[in-house]
Amino acid sequence: MAFYRGQQGSVKFDDAGSSAAAIASTRSWSMNVSKATLESTTLGDTYAGNVGGIISGSGSVELMYTASSSDETNVFIEAANTASDAGGALFELYLDTTGTKKISFDGLITSADYSATVGELEVVTCNFVTNGAITLDI
Amino acid sequence: MAALDLNTVRSTIEGRLQTELDDAPVIPVIFHNMPYTPTPGTSWCQCSISFSASDYLTMGDDSSSSNNVTGLLSIDIYSAKGVGPGDNLTIGKRVRDLYNRVTVSGVHFDSPTGPEVMASPQPEGYFLTQVRCTFEVFEDL
Repeated sequence: MAFYRGQQGSVKFDDAGSSAAAIASTRSWSMNVSKATLESTTLGDTYAGNVGGIISGSGSVELMYTASSSDETNVFIEAANTASDAGGALFELYLDTTGTKKISFDGLITSADYSATVGELEVVTCNFVTNGAITLDI
Repeated sequence: MAALDLNTVRSTIEGRLQTELDDAPVIPVIFHNMPYTPTPGTSWCQCSISFSASDYLTMGDDSSSSNNVTGLLSIDIYSAKGVGPGDNLTIGKRVRDLYNRVTVSGVHFDSPTGPEVMASPQPEGYFLTQVRCTFEVFEDL
């Protein structure tokens, strides 16, 4: 049985939504895919009924600050501060190093946390939401 | 990108100390696993470097990834016995200032501890203090 370790993951991103490039010094990523539920219980039912509704996704990527410039990593950590975001950036969240196990979607960065603490490495955490279909190749 | 060369790190740390203590007043310095016969009543230093924990820093297997490697630098400062701590602390300040929160060739030094007076020096017949400083190096694979 194959198990995977966190360091086998990675993140790719392209703000133009076409060809995703690796985000450097990624420490972790997480994503939640959720489905809204619509209650379908009718009068006389003994048990509650629910059907699936709209699917959405959100998550975060944590990376070490490396002062990268003119690349997708720099765009990624500054994306929360861009105006008129159409939500067309391409995200690819990888679960393994072979590059075949991934979650991909269009989305946008909604917030970024920048931090510097004495004695610790500087970390940037970017939070995102999806825009449209989510493809699970896992 | 390559695995960390431990001897490059060691050389960086030791070279900084050797250069400082070669300046007047010159203080003999010896390093790990080296023989030395001290002259009684004189001052000298012994430098020891120990690498310790290494942790994941970023995602990625054995390429396009980073680790951090930490270590401990210990410098024993021997000086004449029975004449007070002044001479010893003068050397201690030189040593402490060398590494205090500095970054040299990618080696990041923390705030040093000491000079801390040590009991039962070996060899006997000296007043001994110790300066310790943890350091961190980032390894890019």
